[in-house]
Amino acid sequence: MGFVVTSLIFLLIGIIASLSTRIFFNKGPSANLFHLTLVLTSTTCCWMMWAIVYLAQMNPLIVPILSGE
Amino acid sequence: MFPGKMEQFIDNLPPMDLMRSEKMTFVQLIIPAESAHRAISYLGELGLLQFRDLNADKSPFQRTFVNQVKRCAEMSRKLRFFKDQVNKAGLMSSSRTLLQPDIDLEDLEVHLAEHEHELIEMNSNSDKLRQSYNELLEFKIVLQKASGFLISSHGRAVSGEIELQDNGYSNDDYGDTASLLEQEMRPQPSNTSGLRFISGIICKSKALRFERMLFRATRGNMFFNQAPAGEQIMDPVSTEMIEKTVFVVFFSGEQARTKILKICEAFGANCYPVPEDISKHGQITREVTSRLTDLEATLDAGIRHRNKALTSIADHLAKWMDLVRREKAVYDTLNMLNFDVTKKCLVAEGWCPMIAKAQMQEVLHRATFDSNSQVGIIFHQMDAVEAPPTYFKTNTFTNPYQEIVDAYGVARYQEANPAVYTTVIFPFLFAMMFGDWGHGICLLLGALVLIARENKLSTQKLGSFMEMLFGGRYVILLMSLFSIYCGLIYNEFFSVPFHIFGPSAFRCRDTSCRDAYTTGLVKYRDPYPFGVDPSWRGSRSELAFLNSMKMKMSILFGVAHMNLGIILSYFNARFFGSSLDIRYQFVPQMIFLNSLFGYLSLLIIVKWCSGSQADLYHVMIYMFLSPTDELGENQLFWGQRPLQIVLLLLALIAVPWMLFPKPFILKKLHTERFQGRSYGILNSSELDLEVEPDSAREHHHEEFNFSEVFVHQMIHSIEFILGSVSNTASYLRLWALSLAHSELSTVFYEKVLLLAWGYDNLVIRLVGLTVFAFATAFILLMMESLSAFLHALRLHWVEFQNKFYHGDGYKFKPFSFASLTEDDD
Repeated sequence: MGFVVTSLIFLLIGIIASLSTRIFFNKGPSANLFHLTLVLTSTTCCWMMWAIVYLAQMNPLIVPILSGE
Repeated sequence: MFPGKMEQFIDNLPPMDLMRSEKMTFVQLIIPAESAHRAISYLGELGLLQFRDLNADKSPFQRTFVNQVKRCAEMSRKLRFFKDQVNKAGLMSSSRTLLQPDIDLEDLEVHLAEHEHELIEMNSNSDKLRQSYNELLEFKIVLQKASGFLISSHGRAVSGEIELQDNGYSNDDYGDTASLLEQEMRPQPSNTSGLRFISGIICKSKALRFERMLFRATRGNMFFNQAPAGEQIMDPVSTEMIEKTVFVVFFSGEQARTKILKICEAFGANCYPVPEDISKHGQITREVTSRLTDLEATLDAGIRHRNKALTSIADHLAKWMDLVRREKAVYDTLNMLNFDVTKKCLVAEGWCPMIAKAQMQEVLHRATFDSNSQVGIIFHQMDAVEAPPTYFKTNTFTNPYQEIVDAYGVARYQEANPAVYTTVIFPFLFAMMFGDWGHGICLLLGALVLIARENKLSTQKLGSFMEMLFGGRYVILLMSLFSIYCGLIYNEFFSVPFHIFGPSAFRCRDTSCRDAYTTGLVKYRDPYPFGVDPSWRGSRSELAFLNSMKMKMSILFGVAHMNLGIILSYFNARFFGSSLDIRYQFVPQMIFLNSLFGYLSLLIIVKWCSGSQADLYHVMIYMFLSPTDELGENQLFWGQRPLQIVLLLLALIAVPWMLFPKPFILKKLHTERFQGRSYGILNSSELDLEVEPDSAREHHHEEFNFSEVFVHQMIHSIEFILGSVSNTASYLRLWALSLAHSELSTVFYEKVLLLAWGYDNLVIRLVGLTVFAFATAFILLMMESLSAFLHALRLHWVEFQNKFYHGDGYKFKPFSFASLTEDDD
């Protein structure tokens, strides 16, 4: 689906998650900031992991060589 | 302008929960003596004031309230005794919290003394009764068995001359036994000759030695007959049921009798007189049996009475223990206070959070009112010399993470708290090392079970391992969720890949697939959309690809994590107003790390995007060894060589930049401050560990030890420079552990499950399945979890936190009734 498209999907999921935590767990500005930090950190980590694995497979230097049965 | 706007934006943000510890204030309370006890009790209920011990130089016996403390200790001893008795009697203390009237401490003391006295008396009575019961029981058994011997020996006895006499008993407290027994016990005129016997009962384990000893003592002139008792008897010493043996010793002569009696006493054998007249046996047996039943009835009545008393105690026990614990705590706290000059008021000093001030004043007003005191309690803020304690307000979700951070070191007052990021990154790093969504689902189920039974488990007393697991249930929940995510990315479900996200990106070169085993498949479309392509599993080049990918992933995550740490040090420096730290520590550190390892990360990404065959090891090493050489086929982008030279120079400049300026500037500021008119407050996060930012006091150090500061800075810089290489390499454990996990998983799957499944036999299949299940549960789920947990923890504690965390504070421990546990008794 392409790198950019999926990255945008991650971004969208991150925004939706932040908004949902703000709506459902609104506990004052300092708590909200903390929740936002948590959501942003997890979204960033998840995106990074996916992006690294995707990029590593974009132009592979080696290919799978099946093991003979 | 842009940094300025950024800084404004950052300043305008509200303070983040949990990022910095609560603001604390040092307060002094002046409490009139009559309201002291009540005030301290109410403060204990509130639980937000950490008292400072003003009598630290006095021994416990010199303190004012030592008598009350002693009384409380004595009461708690009595309560422990009651609890012991209740447990021994096997009664359940009812947990109903009855509407019991609040009891006064003095009344309770009297109550407890009464109950204790009563209980001790009841216990000693029943002990005596039990002892008599045991003796009678033994006598009955001896009668039964010994009569058997005597009948047989009587039958064998030659007429007349042999007189069987009763003798030889060594028990004295038979004062109140029946008539026939009394007759038997009157000492008979002993004949000097004739066959006599001693009958008794002895522990089975000692019987053989006893017999041998008797044989030796009487030089063989004795006849020993024994039979097992048949029923177990309670040994009064050890209160256990033991096997006993009835014996009868036939002997002749007076010396033999004394010797045998002494040996019986030494071996703890109880001798009972058995009448040689067979006809009397029946009568005596009947009497003994009736006495036994009487005694049993008495004993039962006694036990019932005692249990009734114990039950009534047990109902109140928990409440009393709580009360005594609280009172002792209150008196211990009162002992920390000082009397002021007029001797009518107590002075207390302590730390409390700023936000709790209003609550505290309200509590103190209530105490004054409740104790009908004329004088109010004075509560005012003071300045303190020492640094305030660190207090984080955590909830059940953030508490385990804060404890994980505190286990390494409690944060310095108001420095940035790594727990904010640890909450997400720690489970994520765990998941990177554990990535398998099958195992992740197992962990998730475990975590959900713990969370679902939260209410029940939090009231129970759990073992230490279960307690740790239960305390960390939210950590395990996050760990499992991220493990499922990483498992989907690594495409491993108990090491089996799936095609969840579409077909593989690889296929055979041609339809016959001949080349697939020699030159391999070919990539014909876009990469697999989510995660590792399932074609890799089982191929010969699998490890080559995965190792390369996971190593680079570890480096990328490591550099990002370390950068986050350095950025947190920037925020710390800003908060404490130390521009020195920003300019001469943060900036060169960022430059050094990113010009080397940030550049490496960039190269990795460029290589991936372009598919170049450049050797990154070669590039990095020759960037240092011969930076001006042509790159040739290792060129990844245009302008790489000049960029590398620039970055190398920047890194080289950064080293003296972080090493030299700061000590010299500190020295200059110090001389300016103490010799000139300048009021520049010396604020450096490294230098003085005693000055907290919002203190109005000047720090006490008049001398400024330049060499010490310089060496400190040098150590810090060298640690950073050398550490940047070692820490980056340390993140490779993410690769190593995930490789180990995946290989173990593969081995168990292929060599256990598939192997067993290959056979047609049901038994072999079941055995294989069981072995697979156990191996997965114990090795992969438990051992690997612990291993990944430990390594993720190490990455946090060392590689992340050494970029910004000082961790030399002390924890806020308020005087609170809620934190008193049973262990304090």
